Amino acid sequence: MANKIGIYVCECGTNIAEKVDVEKVIAALSPVKDVAFVDRYKLLCSGDGQKYLRQSIEEHGLTHVVVAACSPKQHEITFMNVCEQAGLNPQLCQLVNIREQCAWVTPDGAQATEKATRLIMAGVNRVSYHAALEKREVDCNPDVLVVGGGIAGIKAANVLAASDRKVYLVEKDGSLGGKVKDFRTLFTNMDSGSKLVEEEIKNLQENGNVEVFIESEVEQILGFLGNFEVTLRTKAQNGQLKFSVGAVVLATGSEPLDASKLPQYGYGKLDNVYTSLEFEEMNSPDAPGGGKIVLKNGKRPESVAIIHCVGREEKGYCSKVCCLYSLKFDRILKSQLPQVKISHLYFDLCIPGKAYQKFYEDTKKLGAEFVRSAKTEVASNKERLTIKYETETGKKGDLPVDMVILLPAMEPSSDVRKFSEMFSLQQDEKGFFAEEHELLSPVASAVEGVFVVGCAQGPKSIAESIVQAEAAAGKILSALVPGRKLQLEVRTSEISETFCTGCKTCIDVCPYGAINFDEGKRISIVNEVLCHGCGVCAAACPSGAARVKNFAFEQIYQEVEALLK
Amino acid sequence: MVEGFTPRLVGFLCNWCTYAAADLAGTAKLEIPWSLSVIRVMCSGRVDPVLAATALLRGADGVLVAGCHPGDCHYREGNYYARRRFALLEKTLETLGLESERLMLAWISATEGQRFADVTNGFANKIKQMGPSPIKKKVAL
Amino acid sequence: MNDSGQNNSVLVIGAGIAGVEASSLLAKSGRQVYLVEKNSYIGGNVIKLEDAFPSMECVGCIMAPKLEEVVDNKNIVLLRLSQVEAVSGSPGSFSVKIKKRAGYVDMESCISCGACFDPCPVEVDNEFEERLSKRKAIYIPCTGALPAVPIVDIENCLRFKGQECQACQEACAFEAIDFNQQDEEIEIQVGAIIVATGFKSFDPSGISRYGYKKSDNVYSAMEIERICASNGPTQGQIVLKNCQQPKSMAIIHCVGRDEKGYCSSVCCMASLKIAHFVKHKLPEVKITQFYTDLCIPGKTYQRFYQEAKEGGVDFIRATVAEVSQSGNGLNIRYKSEDGKENTLTVDMVILNPALEPAADSAKLAQILGISQGENGFFSEKEPDLTSVVTAREGIFIAGCAQNPKDIAETIADAEAASGRVLALRR
Repeated sequence: MANKIGIYVCECGTNIAEKVDVEKVIAALSPVKDVAFVDRYKLLCSGDGQKYLRQSIEEHGLTHVVVAACSPKQHEITFMNVCEQAGLNPQLCQLVNIREQCAWVTPDGAQATEKATRLIMAGVNRVSYHAALEKREVDCNPDVLVVGGGIAGIKAANVLAASDRKVYLVEKDGSLGGKVKDFRTLFTNMDSGSKLVEEEIKNLQENGNVEVFIESEVEQILGFLGNFEVTLRTKAQNGQLKFSVGAVVLATGSEPLDASKLPQYGYGKLDNVYTSLEFEEMNSPDAPGGGKIVLKNGKRPESVAIIHCVGREEKGYCSKVCCLYSLKFDRILKSQLPQVKISHLYFDLCIPGKAYQKFYEDTKKLGAEFVRSAKTEVASNKERLTIKYETETGKKGDLPVDMVILLPAMEPSSDVRKFSEMFSLQQDEKGFFAEEHELLSPVASAVEGVFVVGCAQGPKSIAESIVQAEAAAGKILSALVPGRKLQLEVRTSEISETFCTGCKTCIDVCPYGAINFDEGKRISIVNEVLCHGCGVCAAACPSGAARVKNFAFEQIYQEVEALLK
Repeated sequence: MVEGFTPRLVGFLCNWCTYAAADLAGTAKLEIPWSLSVIRVMCSGRVDPVLAATALLRGADGVLVAGCHPGDCHYREGNYYARRRFALLEKTLETLGLESERLMLAWISATEGQRFADVTNGFANKIKQMGPSPIKKKVAL
Repeated sequence: MNDSGQNNSVLVIGAGIAGVEASSLLAKSGRQVYLVEKNSYIGGNVIKLEDAFPSMECVGCIMAPKLEEVVDNKNIVLLRLSQVEAVSGSPGSFSVKIKKRAGYVDMESCISCGACFDPCPVEVDNEFEERLSKRKAIYIPCTGALPAVPIVDIENCLRFKGQECQACQEACAFEAIDFNQQDEEIEIQVGAIIVATGFKSFDPSGISRYGYKKSDNVYSAMEIERICASNGPTQGQIVLKNCQQPKSMAIIHCVGRDEKGYCSSVCCMASLKIAHFVKHKLPEVKITQFYTDLCIPGKTYQRFYQEAKEGGVDFIRATVAEVSQSGNGLNIRYKSEDGKENTLTVDMVILNPALEPAADSAKLAQILGISQGENGFFSEKEPDLTSVVTAREGIFIAGCAQNPKDIAETIADAEAASGRVLALRR
């Protein structure tokens, strides 16, 4: 069937018409091969204009449409919709920019007219090589796997389950609650961490949609957004369990830096040097001492030094929550031992946000000393300890104390490496899960359908972990709707089986991991669910096997040809 | 400078950044070389060096490939590939008897309308100085 | 409406980055969104920035697709020049009254050609540009602002002062300017509300010792952001009042921190960003930063600081006693932590002020029946546990309206609030 191309030149009121001689353009285009109809219209994007366009397409039985008007960034969708309504595949519509990039930037009318004609010819050439791509959809599973039963994991599960999604919550330890369940108090309300966790777990249990697996680990996850196949190694089931989900949330938390790696603090060598987690444990009502704060010899400490930023320099980042929770330690200490002398050795006080400065000031009033120290060491001093510090200006000082609490940096847990390999996920340079985009997409990973939340993604507070968990839930609830199919990008890349040489260059360059290698056929195959149509593979392919639909070499070439005639 | 010579330029602009900048230049009614024809691509990484070379062989006096600033690519890394490929293509052009300056790679972000105008006008002037592409005389296609 | 008679529509108040993100996410899941914005443009404070820390990415580039989507999306009804006047009802069925001010330009007919600007005889300070440049009485705040349809400033337009003037109408080929437009009272029914009204900058002119608005070349951070912006009043040229390039500058942190009583979280990083930007544009400029505690938490911020330091930026831990004019330059008198007093003379001083809740927050809190904390930010239900949930069911808060925070945290809030809305028991 011969092509019947319709060309519509929009005058855009006077914006195009005052520079471009539309009559001349029409005259130049009308005789062109396959051009069945050329017309002008005052304002094609208007209600009337669109109605006219639709009727005209139907009337002339057009096979392709070129609209010469404003920027496609403004109205490409508008005119593609009109074509669709007129029964024409929207991919067979090309919008040529003769306003922003022609009429508005070319002072001389004759030149503007020539340029408009040239650009429209390129559009005509191009569109006749377009394929009538159909919209594609794929089924998706709305269920979710949440890995990690800490506060972030539990919260994500709760929000998802409240929306009637089936959630599989997997925890490798023997109980849910992660680190938070062991915190006697939380800043700033000084409520108990275990209480918070209990409430959240109660919500989980009340919701029949959540299946919890403790002492279980993920063995394998294959697939992509909407269609992941999960293999679990569970203690309960005494073996393996397989199921499908549509999305995965990684909430595997973090670990404190091992303070024994930093000999200057005497951890592991000197008595009465504790890490913050150990102090929390000591403080817990379930501890051997019943929560009493004591030295190794059973006596009560009269002076405590809290050393901030342990490992900060080595790790190269600030762990965000330590200054704040050290204030909570002050309150705990003072409530048990009102006379205890507390000294903080810190470098920069990190207390951002509307409420935390007041928390700091109120805590300080209880009687703590804050010493800004650039260099801090813990030395033994007969039966006690001495803090040796040096200020920024070089002043040195000694501080004898009974007990030292170290605030170590927060590190990524070992699970990050495991899951990174499983998914080809990226780790950032500090070893945490890398988010898709640092600013715009903090909880999504680069792998579509896999989300990274809480301290697994970076050091943060409980409130921030909860927000991230809710955010991942929000993204999942929005993307995977039960019964709704996933709309796929239409202009994706495809790889010709005939021409593919199996060199895998495309696989290396694809930013989305959207290309897989078929070992049997020794060729690369595009996963159209993941492909974004950027075309980097097509440009990299040495044999020309990879091509982007409707942005293929031969189509772009047609534009080049017309432009240089 | 060749009198009466208007350089025919082809620009491959990435949809997310440079094409938007070109539109912005239009909204601001800046002057852009009238003999520059723009081809919109989704990513500067899409531009096959063969495509750029073909444009030159087809008679373009200059080819501009422009995209997002490194680090800002909408598709994450596409523009890095563009950068590498064009470094290589420039070298290849010389073997074809073409001055490598006829190929230009630029990073122009969506808000840099003025910069788009400056870059394209500068490019047009430079090509004007260089004269028509030697290909037109040598290659009969 | 869903099966249980609950309304599935959502009201999002504020079209800054939080409101835009929430609207997109909700619209994507099929919800109808009413996005109410008091200004004529969307993008809030973020679109005033040229680059964002720590990646130094172009803000316009990353925001453009998000903003365009809001304007195009069929599920999002954007009501600009609008403010919420009253809310009644209960979660699942709120009745909201909105006042929509007339812009006097028809959004359907206007094609954003800008022909109406030149002929307008009135020129006034452009608030968007921090009053560093002028605009007409019919205007869009800056090139690239969305929606691209201008509005008429009724406080300065001659017609609203009783004078005859047809200049803009005569220039418009589409008859898009309609002075007969009226303010509207719109009533909508929604199931949930997300408050994303953002922040405003603390005004440093309240603290006289910094010389703001008294000495030349003392700028606030927002003013510098506009000066650095490629679509700003100087097209990104960093210049002094006399149009010369500065050879030295000082950036003062924590302006207003004592007065407000809290740390605004993002300003240290914003100060570092300005330093990075300036160093890139004018490598010879000597930059000194005055601070007391550096707030650079998280996995990437410390490196950003180290790069600035290695790039030659000086950091002085001190409190600034006074900034005063000294000939053509500015004299900074400061006191370090060890008590030593000193002075530094620079060409330009940049003050980084605290972040405050948006204007009208008190009124909005009352209308919505949610509480504000003592600093005026909207209160979450359980401090330090929830950020997006308020004590009032069905009403959520996101972004700087709740607490000063950076872009990533704001986006997470917006996504979380959306998640909460989608998970509301139906």
